[in-house]
Amino acid sequence: MIFREVEDRDLIAQARRGHVEAYNVLVSRWEKRVFNYLLRLVGHREDALDLSQDVFLKAYQNLKKLEDPARFPAWLFRIAHNEAYSLLRKNKPEGELTVEPKTAEASARLFPVELSLAVESALARLSSDQREAVLLKVYQGFKFEEMAEILACPVSTVKSRLYTALDLLKETLAPLGVGGSRPGAEGVAG
Amino acid sequence: MNCASVDLKAYFLGELDSRERTLVESHAASCQSCHEELDRLRITQTALAALPQEEVPQRIAFVSDKVFEPRWWQSIWRSGPAMAFASSALLAAAILVHAATRPANVVTPAAAVDTAKIERQIQEEVAKRVDAAVTKAVAQVEARQAAQTSEMLAAAEKRFARDREENLAAMQQVARYYSQQINKLMVASNDFAANQPRGAQ
Repeated sequence: MIFREVEDRDLIAQARRGHVEAYNVLVSRWEKRVFNYLLRLVGHREDALDLSQDVFLKAYQNLKKLEDPARFPAWLFRIAHNEAYSLLRKNKPEGELTVEPKTAEASARLFPVELSLAVESALARLSSDQREAVLLKVYQGFKFEEMAEILACPVSTVKSRLYTALDLLKETLAPLGVGGSRPGAEGVAG
Repeated sequence: MNCASVDLKAYFLGELDSRERTLVESHAASCQSCHEELDRLRITQTALAALPQEEVPQRIAFVSDKVFEPRWWQSIWRSGPAMAFASSALLAAAILVHAATRPANVVTPAAAVDTAKIERQIQEEVAKRVDAAVTKAVAQVEARQAAQTSEMLAAAEKRFARDREENLAAMQQVARYYSQQINKLMVASNDFAANQPRGAQ
């Protein structure tokens, strides 16, 4: 991870000096994570792809404004967050910004595994803020402080959203009475 | 450490340092409820992991693509030294073009003759136009005065005719008056003569 981070910093420095190919390597490294994050937020593949294009274009145009290259992941996802919510507000200017739960047919087309359907359904029942907190922590592995930077809110708010979301997901995906392994096993981001 | 002071979720999410992790693990080993809670969190995480990461359906357009390449003027605009150089070059080119296309500022004798001739022509033309304008203005004034004279004559004649008619009427009236007075005198004279005795005559 440290080696990867150093490489990212080097690529960012080169891209800032006008080396386009260095930025291309950065894009290839981060495009899948950004795309999946946007896909879970907006719920449409075409929109997620268009937003991904916009995110990397804006990131390139504003790369010189990035003060600390070590913060590139959070900075990049902050752009992605803003782009996604701009689209969601445009599509639904009034009311809560929620992603409609996918139908069973659509989910089956994307993720044919039955468990995936259950997970999608459980995620869809969360509020948009709670769902985004889960996406950033569980699927993207960001720290609380990085999430606070991405979401532009205090760490306490991040923890509140995430803990509530975990409790709701746990009720659906791991009902009471289910036993498991002993503590000490590796956590999500550990 | 009791259950209330243990942040199992922070532990599970990897937000604790090594010392805190050890404390939580030792507590969970002796606490059945915390142990079960960690198991449920782990099952939840396993279920969430079943949601696969999707492949990007198509390649993200890299910045080397034509659509992302800055225009030549954008490259210059974003570069301070290049912008300064371009500005200087543009200014120098403008000066050269101006110098090459601007007519020479030298007065030749022929040019001086031409200028005097043109000025003379202009003065003649101006004088001609002034004369024409004055003539036209005079004619307009004369015409206007003639019209006024005609109107005054007509009015005077009309007034003279009216006065003559009035004088004639007055003279006729006076004549009638004197005629009447003469007739009265004649009648009175006849009456007086008729009343006188014959011998007195």
